[in-house]
Amino acid sequence: MSPPEPHLRARGKWPPPDGPRVAIVGSRRPSPYGEAVAEQLGLELARAGVVVISGLALGIDAAAHRGALNGGGVTVAVMGTGVDVIYPAAHSALAEAILQAGGALVSQFPDGTTPRRHNFPARNYTMAALSDAVVVVEAAEGSGALITAEAALDLHKEVMAVPGSVFSPLSVGTHALIRDGAGLVQNARDVLAALNLGGEVLDDPLSAPLGLGFKLPGGRDGILSHLSDVLALNAAEIARKLQLPVAEVLGRLTALELDGAVKRRQDGYVRALRRGKERA
Amino acid sequence: MLAGLEARRVHVEADIGRGRDVAFHLVGLAATTVKEARERVRSAIKNSGLDYPRSRFTVSLAPAELRKEGAALDLPIAVAIVLALARKEAPPNSAFLGELALDGAVRHVDGAIVATRCLRGLGYARVFVPAADAAEASLVEGVEVIPCPTLAAVVNHLLGAEPISAFMRTGNEIPDRSVVAEHDLSEVHGQDEAKRALEVAAAGGHHLLLSGPPGTGKTMLARCLPGILPPLELAEALELTQVRSLLGELPRDHPLDWARPFRGPHHGVSMAGLIGGGTGFAMPGEISRAHHGVLFLDELAEFQTPVLQALRQPLETGRVSITRSAGSVTYPARFTLIAATNPCPCGWSGDNLRACRCTPGAIDTYQRRLSGPLLDRIDLQVSVRRVPLEQLTAEPTGETSSTVRERVLAARLRQTDRQGCLNAQLKPARLRQLAPLALTSRRTLERWAAQRGLTARGFHRAWRVARTAADLDGATEIEDHHVLEALGFRLQDVAA
Repeated sequence: MSPPEPHLRARGKWPPPDGPRVAIVGSRRPSPYGEAVAEQLGLELARAGVVVISGLALGIDAAAHRGALNGGGVTVAVMGTGVDVIYPAAHSALAEAILQAGGALVSQFPDGTTPRRHNFPARNYTMAALSDAVVVVEAAEGSGALITAEAALDLHKEVMAVPGSVFSPLSVGTHALIRDGAGLVQNARDVLAALNLGGEVLDDPLSAPLGLGFKLPGGRDGILSHLSDVLALNAAEIARKLQLPVAEVLGRLTALELDGAVKRRQDGYVRALRRGKERA
Repeated sequence: MLAGLEARRVHVEADIGRGRDVAFHLVGLAATTVKEARERVRSAIKNSGLDYPRSRFTVSLAPAELRKEGAALDLPIAVAIVLALARKEAPPNSAFLGELALDGAVRHVDGAIVATRCLRGLGYARVFVPAADAAEASLVEGVEVIPCPTLAAVVNHLLGAEPISAFMRTGNEIPDRSVVAEHDLSEVHGQDEAKRALEVAAAGGHHLLLSGPPGTGKTMLARCLPGILPPLELAEALELTQVRSLLGELPRDHPLDWARPFRGPHHGVSMAGLIGGGTGFAMPGEISRAHHGVLFLDELAEFQTPVLQALRQPLETGRVSITRSAGSVTYPARFTLIAATNPCPCGWSGDNLRACRCTPGAIDTYQRRLSGPLLDRIDLQVSVRRVPLEQLTAEPTGETSSTVRERVLAARLRQTDRQGCLNAQLKPARLRQLAPLALTSRRTLERWAAQRGLTARGFHRAWRVARTAADLDGATEIEDHHVLEALGFRLQDVAA
């Protein structure tokens, strides 16, 4: 494959300020873990002066953009629609925030292009072309994020992936990448090091010993120690493990949920990774 | 004549005129079924060996402006003609209904119990009904039911030749009050969360949504609900019998049934089929057949949107009013709704065995179809998950339906003693007055409401469920853990 012709249409400041560009991509339906990782990576990379690139999609993409914005950085959304068509529509506010923060929405498609399935692989290729490195956070088998990673390989860009739980289908794609030689990302420093940028930016914002920056909630409550942050369990399953009546467990889960320590999904409860933080 | 669950009285008069030409004039806005009565009545009278007028005569159906429908007028018309010819007065305080066969036999009519009840209300002491419907009509207290096998027998009775004795109940009409459940809760393995939700639904009359992949036992769970409900009260059973009688769905020999109905219409059901409808006066639909019982809607998202929208009124009020050409009728429809749905179009989202193949957009659209006003009226929402195979075989069975039913019964008694109705039917004003929240409970509820943007309706619904949880607990006050449990059943407040 040859690199795409860069006939890009842009809204906002394009090209972005000089500096390394890192794409953060992944599942549109991530686990709370993946979402937290993407947001944290976006934030730390932005603080280190990296332009965070992603695709404005649901899930990992949005979390990465959000993180970069929270980190006060510049972020660019490479879109699979015309730059005047925000998809999904729910992300209009996010797109607006990206523009406000001095970032850009760019697209290889003419204005007015509506979302088409076949446009997105081409967009993924463009995203790889515009970046110095691609970091995949949670990708199930066949995920679009893997197309971006493949394109990055073709274009001799750095490909990296964040490991996940071996129980989660969302780890299949990322673990396959790591097995094939992609760099393993635990934090922003790993990404910066891979781009040979470590020395310059590490002194200031990222000098503290790096974890992903959040604390796992304490395990005082027996319920929490039975919850995973990836695989949902419902009240009945937890009650069975704890040998407690389901009505009681349900009530205690709700109390934890009110405190932001657990998160409820359609299919059950997972541990929330950041206390009290609501999903945007 | 029947108009829904009400009956209209029709006065039948016959006048035998003079003149050589034999002609049967029927006046009084008769519909086709009633016009055809002329032919049936003539054959029935002649074939019963009775005299038929040999001159022109007129039968008038009053009031004249009311459109007459149905074959139940055959018997009164024939009786009027025969009595007029014999120059006899009609018996006082008596009413007649029945269709005539050509040989003079009196045939079954639908809605005999409804007609009898209304006739009693109009002050009639004696009702002549088809012999086949006597058991059903006899369920109405305080009125003498005369079972009519043939027209000849009725005439002999009226002329005093051979009286028919009034119908005596044999005891079959009102069987023993016991619950024979098709399915028992102990047959369901795992799913404790859904079972608890069923218990709360049964105790407080709350509606329930089960969400989960195919084959996780949603239908099985729903079918267990009638078994944990107490048997019908007499008044309830009579209401249900009347609906069934109108539809002609009543078993002849045992018209009264204590079992709670369970109706599970297919998702292709039409508006008329579910809500009620038809020409003339509307007939009851599935929701009225499920009166005092369970209406199970599987694959909720597959139902037509207008049909689901039409459920809103009955869900709120427990009755449904339908207007058709002949007028408006109201049917009872106080049912417990159990809705089941897949979490996404392919059904496998959140399943630990198979991967879901739906795009986030498709899931969003699917769940949006469900959301809104209907879902807002379903108090309890639970996700159902696959039970691992080893648990299916190894686990000891859980509680039986009868154990749970005793708790449900106790909780229901507590509610009727306190407020005369179930918690789900409490109006907000009475809820505030009768189910006060302790300070901590109120704070928890308010915190949740603020976090999740609960509507006032949602707030009150969670409150009612908390009251039911407290009733199951035997607690006089709603405690914090009751509120927390109630909120745990609010899957609708979860971001998709």
